[in-house]
Amino acid sequence: MKLENVAVLGVGMTRFGVYRDRSNIDLAREAGLAALRDAGISFKEVGEAFVGYLGAMPMTGIRAMKEFGLTGLPVTHIENASATGLVAFRDAAWAVASGRCQVAMALGFDKMTEMSAGRGAGRGVGRDAIDSVILPAAYFSLWAMRRMHERGTKPEHFAAIAAKNWNFGAKNPWSDRQPDHEVTVEEILASRKIAEPVTAMMSCPVDDGAACAILATREMARRLQPGRPLVAPIVSALQSETYARGHTFMGPVVGPPSMTRDTAREAYEESGVGPEDVSLTLVHDAFATEELEYYELLGFCREGEAEKLVEERQTHLGGRFPFNTDGGLIARGHPGGPTGLAQIFELTRQLRGEAGPRQVANARIGLAHLVGGGSVCTVSILRRE
Amino acid sequence: MSEVRKPRVPIEPGFFTVPEDPATPPRLLGSRCRACGEHFFPRRQVCARCLAEGTDDVLLSPRGRLYTWTYVHFPLFGSKRADHAGGYGVGQVDLPEGPRVMAVLQGEPGDFQIGMEMELELETLRENKEGQDVVIHRFGPAGRER
Repeated sequence: MKLENVAVLGVGMTRFGVYRDRSNIDLAREAGLAALRDAGISFKEVGEAFVGYLGAMPMTGIRAMKEFGLTGLPVTHIENASATGLVAFRDAAWAVASGRCQVAMALGFDKMTEMSAGRGAGRGVGRDAIDSVILPAAYFSLWAMRRMHERGTKPEHFAAIAAKNWNFGAKNPWSDRQPDHEVTVEEILASRKIAEPVTAMMSCPVDDGAACAILATREMARRLQPGRPLVAPIVSALQSETYARGHTFMGPVVGPPSMTRDTAREAYEESGVGPEDVSLTLVHDAFATEELEYYELLGFCREGEAEKLVEERQTHLGGRFPFNTDGGLIARGHPGGPTGLAQIFELTRQLRGEAGPRQVANARIGLAHLVGGGSVCTVSILRRE
Repeated sequence: MSEVRKPRVPIEPGFFTVPEDPATPPRLLGSRCRACGEHFFPRRQVCARCLAEGTDDVLLSPRGRLYTWTYVHFPLFGSKRADHAGGYGVGQVDLPEGPRVMAVLQGEPGDFQIGMEMELELETLRENKEGQDVVIHRFGPAGRER
């Protein structure tokens, strides 16, 4: 269903990184207050909140919200693995679009560094469960190995995507990884092997952070921010798996690649926007191998042409379809809960024309995509009105 | 003279048989829909294809074709064995009944080719407190001496 009468009023995030001495709630407060400042409103005006995280204890979302004040607003926890932040955004957008409230907040935070130390379900090491042996890196590498078999894709294609995202990271002050030199394909390929053909530098880091988006009616956004371009979510699709012969049921399953195609098709059909209209795209590049697949699955090229898109640098700044301009999961980072809201942060700043050295010229429509284990896929499209 | 064998237990019950005699090949525990005949691994009560309630327990074919594979450069989890330290294969194997099974693979990166025939076996991960061998299912290239 198309989203109407809702706009992004404000965004805020912490830089993603390793924060040993800061709590989830501390990070959440920083991101939330930044979003409120950007929105130009007081917390009193927030009518509803959706909070997402993977690693913290139950109730942490409501506790985090009390950092902003105790106003009695409804607070709902959202959890959809890696897709959590973008799903919190979806529900906040609908809370406004449905008329249930005038202003809604989507807040995400996580400390993946603590989850991967063995307390959470992130890595599976040592857990006596039959499918925890299949690491996420292995699962996505299975796609990549099949692709290499069918299409002759080379590790260099994946490395070129990783290098692009690292180098975007250097242009983004909120990015975890900000290399001090131009990262090369050779450097990516020479880094430690994780799971054939994926290397360490083709993989997202383990990091912490928080991000927040505030949604409001378009009327309110125009009234409060008369001088600023209005950025509006126009659709947000969310799907879980659809059964087909050959479906795998075990492992940290993120569903078959077709989930992305199906979810994107829903988003395109309901919004009337097509891939040719999209100015920039942010995807779930937990591994660089995924991003190549998404070029096709999101409809930016025909099947079998993703390698050509890489070779022609069409997904770089200045190309036809800039991808992961904030560095993506690989450079900007992937704490979990806030990841999707960091995507909304980047899309909003790009569509307002505030993205500095990584600005996509005349950005008008932005697309955010995430998959989440379990599994789900979600696609949101934002437009500058 | 019979050799003394340690009892073997699955890492998690309900997924594969653990034959008393290690020479007997293990089988995956699957389901077959009573309404439409679709097969599944692991077992389930409601058919994912036609949504009918009611499936029969079946033993799935121990052989299938390798759809895709990778090699993970980390020790096989929970295992302290030296031969697990370097890494392990992971693959998806298409069984003749239909299910695509994701599992650990036996072998080195050079041993695997998409489309090759694979067969099911059990691998010992470790010994538990009761002195039993904890085993997990895995696929290896079919017909190979091990």
